[in-house]
Amino acid sequence: MNFDFNQSEQTFLKELDTLLKGINCKNIDVNELLKELAKTDYLKIEISPFLMAAMEILSSYTQSLFLSIEVSTRIFGRIISNFGNDNQKQTILPGLFDGKLIGAVALSEDSMNIDNEPLKTKGYREDDFIIVNGNKSYVVNAGIADYFAVAGRIDDKDAIFLIEKGTNGLSVSDRLHTIGYDGTSISNLYLKDCKINETNVLYPKLSAIRMWENQVLIGATLGMMKASFESAKNYAKTHKTGGKPIIAYQEIGFKLAEMLTTLQTSQLFAYRSCWLYGIGDKEADIVTYSAKVFCGESAEKVASDALQILSGAGVLCGNPAEEAYRCSKYAQIAGTSTEISRVKIGDAALGRL
Amino acid sequence: MEFAFTKEQLMFKQEVIRFAKKEIVPRVQEFDLKEDFDVESFRKLGEFGILGLHFPEEYSGGGADVVTTVLAGEALGEAGVDGGLTLAYGAHSFLCADTIFRHGTEDQRRKYIPKLAKGEWIGCMGLTEPDAGSDVASMKTIAEKKGDKYILNGNKMFITNGPVADVAVVYAKTDPKVQHAGISAFIIEKGTKGFSAGKPLIKMGVRTSLTSELILQDCEIPKENILGKEGEGFLMAMQTVEWDRSALLAPFVGATRYLLKKCSDYSKKRIQFGKPIGSYQAIKHKLANMRIFVEAAHSLVYRIAWCKNQGRPLNHLEAAVAKLFVGDYSLLPSNDAVVLHGGYGYCHEYDVERIFRDGRLAPIGGGTSDIQKMIISRLI
Repeated sequence: MNFDFNQSEQTFLKELDTLLKGINCKNIDVNELLKELAKTDYLKIEISPFLMAAMEILSSYTQSLFLSIEVSTRIFGRIISNFGNDNQKQTILPGLFDGKLIGAVALSEDSMNIDNEPLKTKGYREDDFIIVNGNKSYVVNAGIADYFAVAGRIDDKDAIFLIEKGTNGLSVSDRLHTIGYDGTSISNLYLKDCKINETNVLYPKLSAIRMWENQVLIGATLGMMKASFESAKNYAKTHKTGGKPIIAYQEIGFKLAEMLTTLQTSQLFAYRSCWLYGIGDKEADIVTYSAKVFCGESAEKVASDALQILSGAGVLCGNPAEEAYRCSKYAQIAGTSTEISRVKIGDAALGRL
Repeated sequence: MEFAFTKEQLMFKQEVIRFAKKEIVPRVQEFDLKEDFDVESFRKLGEFGILGLHFPEEYSGGGADVVTTVLAGEALGEAGVDGGLTLAYGAHSFLCADTIFRHGTEDQRRKYIPKLAKGEWIGCMGLTEPDAGSDVASMKTIAEKKGDKYILNGNKMFITNGPVADVAVVYAKTDPKVQHAGISAFIIEKGTKGFSAGKPLIKMGVRTSLTSELILQDCEIPKENILGKEGEGFLMAMQTVEWDRSALLAPFVGATRYLLKKCSDYSKKRIQFGKPIGSYQAIKHKLANMRIFVEAAHSLVYRIAWCKNQGRPLNHLEAAVAKLFVGDYSLLPSNDAVVLHGGYGYCHEYDVERIFRDGRLAPIGGGTSDIQKMIISRLI
């Protein structure tokens, strides 16, 4: 047992924070931020509590770019590094780690639920090639990706079709207008007779990809809560009414206390779930679902409380709490939704009925 | 950062669960109904080694580290031991015995710790007064030095183990003119002239721990019975907070694990509309919330324990966060557990109503949730 990050991890987190403080994350695009992050080891961190802490820092500066970067590096990257062949690893991974390539992952379809509904996107064989057809929904990075990892079925098995940008038959819808993540490229993806090499069909466990997605979303919520809490706290300390800062009033001070309690609880929850996953504990999945439910719902609450404290300043667009509030819903829906998560956690508690 | 318990710690936890299920749990319902302290169970806790777990072996203790000690508390809750007995244990071992151990002279240690560790004697701690709760400095109990004696006058309120204690650590003002710095701690034994306990209070929950007023009326004790020096009392009381926010919270976490198991078993057996109620999502939702609470609270409690193990001074912010979270958020699972059991949940036999009542203490005892928010908002 050890609740501390080691010295080098602490130094890294501090430097990451300093780096991001020096960048105006609202005014740069994902490629520029990727280049900056590639100067550090951020893009290479493995699944661990330390990764959660690093993700918290990045997402506290920018929700939109965070999601884009994490989907590309962490989720798409892991699909390649875990399930790709040597050639794919050599072609793609260096570009991801250098921030020069962007990947997209297309899991959901119109049903949204990949746990219960069979995927409709299908590949069939023709000569030495695979022909892929299907429609994917809400694909993060769709408009900017160099590579797409598209989930579907072939030979009655789950598969990932690795498809390069510009492949004939691959098209992307206009950017979807979403309640949050307004700086993230999110679109639908259409595949019509996309022809790919057989070597570009990978056979990962789709549930593993969902779990990585859940971890990214948990990391996102930590940043939402951190940014919301910090902005509300700073405001409460500097904004005065009745001759004293509003934090001195219990209606405000106690709300901040609840927010910080939720943030700290979420942090430890996230760290521990990631640690369990890293050591391959058999409870890791259930604790990750638990953490995702808790952190997702907490993020909306903490952001909402922050807006309340920021009052007039809170209703203006462009403050961190407002951005977090809009994005927090996504964390409860994307990945494994809170509803499906709770059912899975309940099932685990029941065992065999 | 890593969260693993050692193999020994996990084995010990299982041992505690086995012991508690066999020796203690069968009598829990009976004593809760009687609103009586189960002396036999308490002595068994002593014989098994729980009461003195963290004291060195030379004082009849178990020499365990803080994390193991906290784990034992969680195990008692998980086994189904009621909140009354775990509270009695907490007040005895941490609020009373540990204070004597940390601040007492060697003579005081030798005299009291072995007896308390073995459960031969029962300990209590008197800090709160009828008109002084979290505002400790407003206490009115006075200790006046006269020659080689202290004369104590005042009343202490809501004292766990008060009616059954053989020895009490009592806080009183030796200098009423000053606030916190005027508080000192004393050891008072049962039978001391002028020292008595009131009638046990009738409580909503934790009913197997007896709670009463302590009355000090010209209570004379030798001056050697002071703990440490005059004016050090407040710091001693504050040091018990480390245990209060770890070892005393852990049974609530354990009790929620017990609830989860209980609810899961019931949901599998209870058939309505032709299928076990566990197959309905609304029931799974409740079970999920219990699990989520357990996992969330777990790390908060063990963070306090681990930091104490490292010998770090208490982080008051983290301690208040743990107390606030466990206090407030443990109420939902225990409420859900009662509702999930329907009419049976409302009846004593099914345990969940007792745990519901016992759990109401979590946001109150040792500083209410509002006090925790006050502490946190000041430290932000």
